[in-house]
Amino acid sequence: MFKKLPQNGEKVSIDFEGKRLETVTGQTVAAALLGSGEMLFRESAVTGQPRSVYCMMGVCFECLLEIDGKPNQQSCMILVQEGMKIRRQQRPIMENHASA
Amino acid sequence: MQVPEYDLIIIGSGPAGMAAAVTSRGQGLKVLVLDEQPTAGGQIYRNIEHLELHRNPEFKKLGRDYSEASGLVKRFKNCGADYLSGMTVWQIEKELVVRVVHNSPGQDKKSPLSFKAKKILIAVGAMERPMPIPGWTLPGVMACTAVDVLYKSAGIVPKGTVVLAGAGPLLLLIATRLLDAGVKISALLNTNPQNALLKALPHLPSALRTPEYLVKGAGMLLKLRTSGVPIHFGIRSIEAQGKENLNRVRFVSSKGTQTVDADLLLLHQGVVPNVQITRLLGCEHQWYESQRYWEPVLDEWGNTSVPGIAVAGDCGRVSGSKVSELSGHIAALETARALGALSESKRDEQASSIRAELKKQQASRPFLDTLFEPQKSWIVPEDEATMVCRCEEVDVGEIRNTVRLGAHSPDRVKAMIRSGMGFCQGRMCALTLSEIIADELKISPADVGYLRVRSPIKPVTLGQLVSSE
Amino acid sequence: MNSIQTDTIVIGGGIIGVSLAYGLIKHGSSVILLDREDQNLTASRANFGLVWVQSKGYGMPRYAEWCIEATDHWPVFSESLEEETGSKLNYENTGGFEICLGEEELAARVKFIEDMRMQSRNGQYEVSMLSRDELQKMLPKIALGNDVSGASFCRHDGIVDPLNLLRTFYQGFQKRGGDYRPGHWVEDIQKDGSGFLVKTPKQHFRAQKLVIASGLATTKLSNMVGMAVPVSPQKGQVLVTERTSKLFPFATGGIRQNANGNFMFGASHEDTGIEIGTSTDILKVLVSRALRIFPVLENLQLVRTWAGLRVLTPDQKPVYCESEEFPGAFAVTSHSGVSLASLHSDKLPEWILEGKIFPDFDVFHPRRFNV
Ligand SMILES: Cc1cc2nc3c(=O)[nH]c(=O)nc-3n(C[C@H](O)[C@H](O)[C@H](O)COP(=O)(O)OP(=O)(O)OC[C@H]3O[C@@H](n4cnc5c(N)ncnc54)[C@H](O)[C@@H]3O)c2cc1C
Ligand SMILES: Cc1cc2nc3c(=O)[nH]c(=O)nc-3n(C[C@H](O)[C@H](O)[C@H](O)COP(=O)(O)OP(=O)(O)OC[C@H]3O[C@@H](n4cnc5c(N)ncnc54)[C@H](O)[C@@H]3O)c2cc1C
Ligand code: FES
Repeated sequence: MFKKLPQNGEKVSIDFEGKRLETVTGQTVAAALLGSGEMLFRESAVTGQPRSVYCMMGVCFECLLEIDGKPNQQSCMILVQEGMKIRRQQRPIMENHASA
Repeated sequence: MQVPEYDLIIIGSGPAGMAAAVTSRGQGLKVLVLDEQPTAGGQIYRNIEHLELHRNPEFKKLGRDYSEASGLVKRFKNCGADYLSGMTVWQIEKELVVRVVHNSPGQDKKSPLSFKAKKILIAVGAMERPMPIPGWTLPGVMACTAVDVLYKSAGIVPKGTVVLAGAGPLLLLIATRLLDAGVKISALLNTNPQNALLKALPHLPSALRTPEYLVKGAGMLLKLRTSGVPIHFGIRSIEAQGKENLNRVRFVSSKGTQTVDADLLLLHQGVVPNVQITRLLGCEHQWYESQRYWEPVLDEWGNTSVPGIAVAGDCGRVSGSKVSELSGHIAALETARALGALSESKRDEQASSIRAELKKQQASRPFLDTLFEPQKSWIVPEDEATMVCRCEEVDVGEIRNTVRLGAHSPDRVKAMIRSGMGFCQGRMCALTLSEIIADELKISPADVGYLRVRSPIKPVTLGQLVSSE
Repeated sequence: MNSIQTDTIVIGGGIIGVSLAYGLIKHGSSVILLDREDQNLTASRANFGLVWVQSKGYGMPRYAEWCIEATDHWPVFSESLEEETGSKLNYENTGGFEICLGEEELAARVKFIEDMRMQSRNGQYEVSMLSRDELQKMLPKIALGNDVSGASFCRHDGIVDPLNLLRTFYQGFQKRGGDYRPGHWVEDIQKDGSGFLVKTPKQHFRAQKLVIASGLATTKLSNMVGMAVPVSPQKGQVLVTERTSKLFPFATGGIRQNANGNFMFGASHEDTGIEIGTSTDILKVLVSRALRIFPVLENLQLVRTWAGLRVLTPDQKPVYCESEEFPGAFAVTSHSGVSLASLHSDKLPEWILEGKIFPDFDVFHPRRFNV
């Protein structure tokens, strides 16, 4: 678990699974979620195990989230933006994508 | 869209990439720097501008290295190189066309996504060596440096009970930094063998050429001791336990088996070069036995075996931020020479003072590398159910069985059981895979080889592929 | 160097070699399988995994019949191999499409299918044409792009996981006591009494029967025992995406979805020699076509590309032959190593071990290239 140290910076609010989270600009989405106490990021693609951030540097692909409707976003590499809608990544990710 | 052309494209804006940009711009080259991170600074100085601006007291506490680095970032930003951040390189073609995608969704139509270069400098740094233990995929188990990144780039620190496990200078550094930030460390599981110091002693005289590193190291050890962190030695196994989250860490030390509660387990077995791009380009690599990793074969200027492709910084050999920076300057001088902007004698003249400093900065490496030699027991997990490929969920036992079936190379094993086929493109399992195959066949990883790396080195959508110029 | 004696030596651990090796041991022969461990992707690790009939055998009706026999035997064959090894091949007799874009492609396809029917010796070439609407009805989970004009459909076609197939053959072979020797590069073959002496730098081997199934090396090795089997490489590039839900449970020439949910696209046809690089330009062509067929796949992540070398005879049809000069030496090569695996393992051993002659089998002899 993590906590935020006090810091300056422009306030930003994002939406995670329908919850409003407050954070500041200049943070990655992964950092913002961890700082708000969120640990569970996604289900693993093969057996649906719970997974969370591992490396924080773009290597492990464990931090994948659905951001603004787009799945598979590497959240440790993407900065928060006001109003971003974020969801946990489920598997498989195209269930309702493609009906005829 | 037209493909913009540059004299030099630098991939990575860490110490190596930034230094190379400054020096090559100084020789009048047209330079582009690409980085997948949103801000400049590389892994060590992640988000440093933000830190300096918004958390100045903490920035100051980080010391002289950080104020110097802040100066380098400013020189880099003002050097006149084009700099595109938040863009990941996913393919480089033989004709030196570099293809990128934006990391943030919905940005792709705003700028070109392919660039052509006369020369390419790869300065993509290092990554943590994967340390597979039972349960390491549980939320709450992380790479040690991840927590450092969170602290420095976002002001986020662990709360609850924290256990650190592994070995290496960064583990000590991060432990002390956590203590400074008021985090309680409930156990440090030191996996370094107890005779390591003895083995490293012969290299001590050379290391004394840069005593500041040793003083720093001794200070960190002292801090750990005096702060009362329980340090466990002679660690033989570690297991992360929990269902949805990490709850406990069970370990066997020289004192027997113990289980401690934990909210966070931070693992560390040193860092290894990020060879994804040099492998993609088919550069020749060699096995570096002392540190048990592959590195590109480089000449004294950073040139690889592939014409037009050079390497600087930790992705050539892990040597720390100072050496990385210096190697960036050197590679840039050579690029300027190769493109006719600098005569050979001028290049040599300018390089000579940098080389002298480089030599000094490298003096402590043999000591550190011997002191923290990676231990095979932490690379090749004993427990056969330990996950090796986190993406495709392949464990040690499956890999061993496949080797016994006659698959003697990483590519063959991969083709049979999918280890290395997931999103991370083998970054998290390739080294372990080669080590396990080597162990099973009783040969060296040098003779087993490495997974073949192909584009895309980071996944792109099909839409992004077809719309790339 | 000492030599190791066995009944039959198979040279080549690709899908053809191992399917034969498995079949031979099942038919009672002791077998050593020699394989050169190479980093370059062999066709067997690069292919698309179709069990495919509908376009095969143009100009050689016997081959079309052989393919149908093979696919019809696949369910029995895969069930027994799975049972024996406990592994899953993920074979499905889904039926297969060849999907057409635009009227011109559709017209060409109609004509091709008609020609195949005319050539068919019993007139029962079971491929039908579907309109766009009929095709969409069969694909309720995935919308067709506007350019799709129709498709041909063949009920015999199916898909298998080609890598599982390869692994399972190895398991089955070794389970039955087969001796698999990776890292054994055959450099020389000599006549040895009534049998053969096969030399690798590590070890020599002796056997009464010898099967050469060495992919692109088949020409060279066959030559050593008096057979002229011309083969040449043709590069095919393939792409694979992340996993997604099951949207497309059919086989087609250029698009398929694996049991794991990954989509695969392929494969190009390039005469670039012995070289297995991938190139963005070609990959774009493959994916553009796939996205014209199924535009909704646009947001899927591409995780991997690769290329492999097809092993092609001049007419792209198989070669099955026994050396006239050195009886007991056989050569087998085909560009349908997956599709034909069922017969290679369950039927060809009768020919190799017992000299059984199948009807009109002679059409597969490479002397057809000498005219
Ligand atoms: C978290 C962390 C903390 C560290 N702390 C210290 C420390 O305190 N002291 C110390 O001496 N060393 C430290 N190190 C080691 C230090 O990072 C390196 O020695 C130094 O940063 C190497 O510099 P570099 O320029 O070679 O690479 P890096 O600083 O790693 O920079 C590489 C850059 O390349 C980018 N990149 C990588 N792949 C791609 C791609 N495909 N496309 C686009 N861009 C890409 C990355 O985003 C990164 O910004 C630390 C390492 C880590 C990971
Ligand atoms: C892109 C692509 C897609 C394809 N799609 C399909 C499909 O959907 N369905 C289908 O049925 N077929 C398909 N094929 C064709 C199929 O893959 C081949 O027919 C089949 O793999 C050929 O197998 P092989 O064993 O003859 O050759 P290979 O797989 O090339 O194996 C030859 C083996 O011989 C070994 N060898 C070579 N020389 C020596 C030596 N001197 N000593 C010892 N060993 C040696 C090699 O190391 C290798 O292991 C496809 C092919 C490609 C390239
Ligand atoms: S946490 Fe590893 S890639 Fe984001």
